[in-house]
Amino acid sequence: MFDLRRYGIDRRHYRWTELFLLVLPALFLIIALLTLLVVQSSGGLVSTTKVSLPKLDAFVPAFGLIAALLGAHFALNIIAPDADQTILPIAGTLSSIGVIMALRIGPDLGQPTLGNKQLVFVILGLVCCVGTVKLTQDLRWLRNFKYTWAVVGIVLVGITLAHAHSFSSNAPGRDVLTFGSGGLSFQPSEILKICLVIFFAGYLSENREMLAMASYRIGFLKLPPLKHLGPLVAMLGLALVIFLGIHELGLAILIFGLFLSMLYVASNRPVYIVVALLLFGIGALIAYQHIPYAKSRVDIVHTAFQTGNPDQPATDVSKNAGYQIVQGLVAFGRGGVFGEGLGLGAPCIVPECNSDYVASSFGEEFGFAGLLALLGLFMLLVYRGMHIAVNNRDTFKQLMVIGLTAVFALQTVVILAGNLKIMPLTGIPLPFVAYGGSSLLANFIIIGLLIRLSQSKA
Amino acid sequence: MSFDNYTFLLILRVALIVILYLVILQVVFVSRRDMRRAAKMPVAATQAKPVVGHLVVIDSGSTALVPGSRLDIEPITTIGRAPTNGIVLDSTFVSTEHTRILFKERSLWVEDMGSRNGTLVDQKPVTGAVAVSPGSVLQVGDVRFKFAV
Repeated sequence: MFDLRRYGIDRRHYRWTELFLLVLPALFLIIALLTLLVVQSSGGLVSTTKVSLPKLDAFVPAFGLIAALLGAHFALNIIAPDADQTILPIAGTLSSIGVIMALRIGPDLGQPTLGNKQLVFVILGLVCCVGTVKLTQDLRWLRNFKYTWAVVGIVLVGITLAHAHSFSSNAPGRDVLTFGSGGLSFQPSEILKICLVIFFAGYLSENREMLAMASYRIGFLKLPPLKHLGPLVAMLGLALVIFLGIHELGLAILIFGLFLSMLYVASNRPVYIVVALLLFGIGALIAYQHIPYAKSRVDIVHTAFQTGNPDQPATDVSKNAGYQIVQGLVAFGRGGVFGEGLGLGAPCIVPECNSDYVASSFGEEFGFAGLLALLGLFMLLVYRGMHIAVNNRDTFKQLMVIGLTAVFALQTVVILAGNLKIMPLTGIPLPFVAYGGSSLLANFIIIGLLIRLSQSKA
Repeated sequence: MSFDNYTFLLILRVALIVILYLVILQVVFVSRRDMRRAAKMPVAATQAKPVVGHLVVIDSGSTALVPGSRLDIEPITTIGRAPTNGIVLDSTFVSTEHTRILFKERSLWVEDMGSRNGTLVDQKPVTGAVAVSPGSVLQVGDVRFKFAV
């Protein structure tokens, strides 16, 4: 008989809730796999390239992910038995959606193994997640080296800047550092987010008294001593450098939003938000008028239907700028309320249908109902994050949880708003769902940190 | 595509969306259970130790306390920055062991524990023990409380 006690697991403290919650993503994977196989056998996927899905290979991503999630579940039972039990199932469900979308879209893009690649990334992510939980048993080293984390972040931005020439302005957010020829690439900006959260949390938790206190005033504005404002202004500068230097509008918005939410929670003073948003507004106005890149980004949004010609594929972006946005909206619209059904749509008429526009692919095949559920899952992730933050006593940990949760919230809002033609489109990946290795790894490291921080004695 | 396949796919399609909503529902249930447990726990804790009064936070200063929240006063309540205190105030203006509240002779008494920034009752620095009544304002570092029954 299987004896749990041998692994140091007490039956009463077993993570039953997590195990039961993991049944649902497993069911989702199996039913989605079944759907794809039925669609295949009854005439093939409706695809633009007509590369059929290899039958046996389709089993690997679905069952591989179930095994990986169970593995992570058992590992957490040993390392962190009393940690939050809902976070892994939520992340697991979201990454099941991601793997299924990659598996389904792969043949359309002429890459039948796309699902397997995504599975490898998810497994690596889960390993990183469990590793993070194991390594952060003592969180002091994160806090004590906060300036080191800031330096690591600045070095990462430097690397990205140095590789900026490999960016094309129409496809921001592509992987920039390529290791080897195996197609595995790494994007430093993903790790940058985590470094910045740790730095902000360490810095703000030590200086919150100073920031909450007003020492002198300019007009009706009360400001803390300049010495304490310095690092904060430097971070705003970093966001500006990212925007101007590497044309990563999404990353700049993400860092700025992250900074604002953590500053507000730490200082409890709305005046910072007002001032920062005013500065942001002025900066945006100046950028719009003087920087062609910024102007084109914003102009695409409200002239999409004039510039986007759905009849001609976007070979030249300058002639057919709104193509991607218009096609994305068309895909959302085709989905309707309940979607066309998995495998029955044609999501890949939208460029980047597996990464930037994975939401429109999902929306086409699962419809409004599916998108609403997807949003609900992200909301629950954010809610659990806030729950962990409220239950923590330590300011540093509270701020860190707030920041890590804000990363998910901001990413989701920025990319979905971009897809739905509400704000300029950016290259921020939809957490867990979009295809891509570095974003998945970073998101799973964040999940690992959240799981560790949810422990009462962490 | 035959009709049978179509019906089968329709069922699978509905099942997929239903599962996504079930995940949400389940997590909401778990969260609600967590909250109920958390709501029950303080009740059990306070039954063990008698509460002789409350402190209402007026000004949370630089701590994470929420203004308006009520903190329990036990027969001996220590206030300070160290986690060993009965009421922990995470602020640099508060000393590790700042203030002590005692319940003696059917009244509450405030004592300063040799803090750096001092303890104030109704804006007057505390030396020795000062008797307080509901309505008195207690200032510890940059945090202000009002005594309540």
